[in-house]
Amino acid sequence: MRISSAGYLVKQGVKGVWKNRMMSFASFCIMLVSLMLVGISVLAGLNISRIISGIEEKNEMVVILRAEVTQADIDKLYVDISNISNVGEVTFYSKNDAWADMLADMTEQEREFMEYGNGDVPLPDTFRVKINDLEIMDITSSQIKALNMVESIQSPETFADALISVRNIAALITSAVVFTLIVICMVIISNTTRTSVHTRRKEINIMKYVGATNSFIRIPFFIEGMLIGILAAVGALILTRFAYLELYKVINDQLNGLQMMGSKPIYPFSSISMYVTIAYLAAGTIIGALGTTISAGKYLKV
Amino acid sequence: MVEFKDVSVTYSSGVDALEHIDLRINDGDFAFIVGSNGAGKSTLIKLLLKEIDATSGTVLVNGYNLKKIRRSKVSKLRRTIGVVFQDFRLIPTMTVYENIAFVLRVIDAPKKYIKTRVPYVLELVGLSDKMKAYPEQLSGGEQQRVALARALVNDPKLIIADEPTGNIDPELSYDIVELLKGINECGTTILMVTHEHNLVRYFGGRVINLESGSITFDEMVGGSDENK
Repeated sequence: MRISSAGYLVKQGVKGVWKNRMMSFASFCIMLVSLMLVGISVLAGLNISRIISGIEEKNEMVVILRAEVTQADIDKLYVDISNISNVGEVTFYSKNDAWADMLADMTEQEREFMEYGNGDVPLPDTFRVKINDLEIMDITSSQIKALNMVESIQSPETFADALISVRNIAALITSAVVFTLIVICMVIISNTTRTSVHTRRKEINIMKYVGATNSFIRIPFFIEGMLIGILAAVGALILTRFAYLELYKVINDQLNGLQMMGSKPIYPFSSISMYVTIAYLAAGTIIGALGTTISAGKYLKV
Repeated sequence: MVEFKDVSVTYSSGVDALEHIDLRINDGDFAFIVGSNGAGKSTLIKLLLKEIDATSGTVLVNGYNLKKIRRSKVSKLRRTIGVVFQDFRLIPTMTVYENIAFVLRVIDAPKKYIKTRVPYVLELVGLSDKMKAYPEQLSGGEQQRVALARALVNDPKLIIADEPTGNIDPELSYDIVELLKGINECGTTILMVTHEHNLVRYFGGRVINLESGSITFDEMVGGSDENK
């Protein structure tokens, strides 16, 4: 194919957007709304997961050691606990540190009262253990409990169970919403592009009669669909950014209470803008180009 | 050259559209194909354009055996044929110039050639001043002349005109056939399907009559224009 012919086909594709502006506009709107709906649902899902994971990360169990524990036992326990696969970070919290922290939080009178004694520290030595997977917290807890010199374990298993349920339900709902939206959007986009191409079936028919090859006919449709997809992606990106920034302020204020429990704030748009841009442009381009080209293909069998 | 050898077409509905057709149209011929509705004229054209396949028999068009031609080569076959339809079939979003130039772009013709060839054929059909117009801005007769220009722009061996005068004023019909006759005199084979017997009687020439899928008449007929 000559360069001038390739240039002609690209030009025809670009011109096609304007020449068929009513249908182009319809396709643009449908794709823009579809991309936005799916995009915002995915972002919502990601942020819910981030909020919950923050709380999960803060969740730790307290391993209480026996009173007769020695430094050698403590060192060995540190290694043994750290070697358990589900264990993340392990921190030793000595009874003296615990006592000092406790006293620091007291009033003068309380402190004097507490220090009135024989100098023995009434608190046990402990390990603060962060775990990776909350779902197997009970197994990890049993493994630690079985270790020598471990008196007992305080683990928020009920809270962990509740958190797991919330996380699983949230994941299920967001996946179902995203999947449903994707299916609905695919059907709507496919119908719109099919209608758009259907109005031009005579044009395709004529091209076939004068001896145009399938690729010669498809290329302008491909370019046209791609352009509409890119424009829709840019439009969706602008609207998503605007909506996200507005929601960001409101939601982060509302999350203050949860943040005390360890919840992370939702992603700032600047940190995800690159991924959102790439995802929107890729989805817009692929759906636009393929949707139109496949629809055109239906009328090429003449 | 067009040749039908014992060609039959039966549609999936069971209708026998053509039955045992034997027909030969030599290069440079001008033939009218006449017949009433349902006689098989449209089926004959669909066969020539490889829109449908013959149920049995062989169809040869411009050196292509349509029974053996691959799908990918159909576009090449069609480039050797110019088609003029009753409803013009011009691309509404393209200007007159673009409609005609499109045929040359399909065959990857050089830009320079397109720029000289399109105005030339438009001059032949008397529409040099309508180059930038869109089809909807033209009368039926003008649209048909654009269709004619499009059919001959890539110098095809064969032009099939399917009821080319069916949608235009009767007085303009004669102009269209005159144009086709002129093109034929330059060596292009013309196959014109019509049911306008007045035109056939006026111009004369080879007349092929189809009735219920069979050829009932295939002879040279003298035209009244010769007596003018």
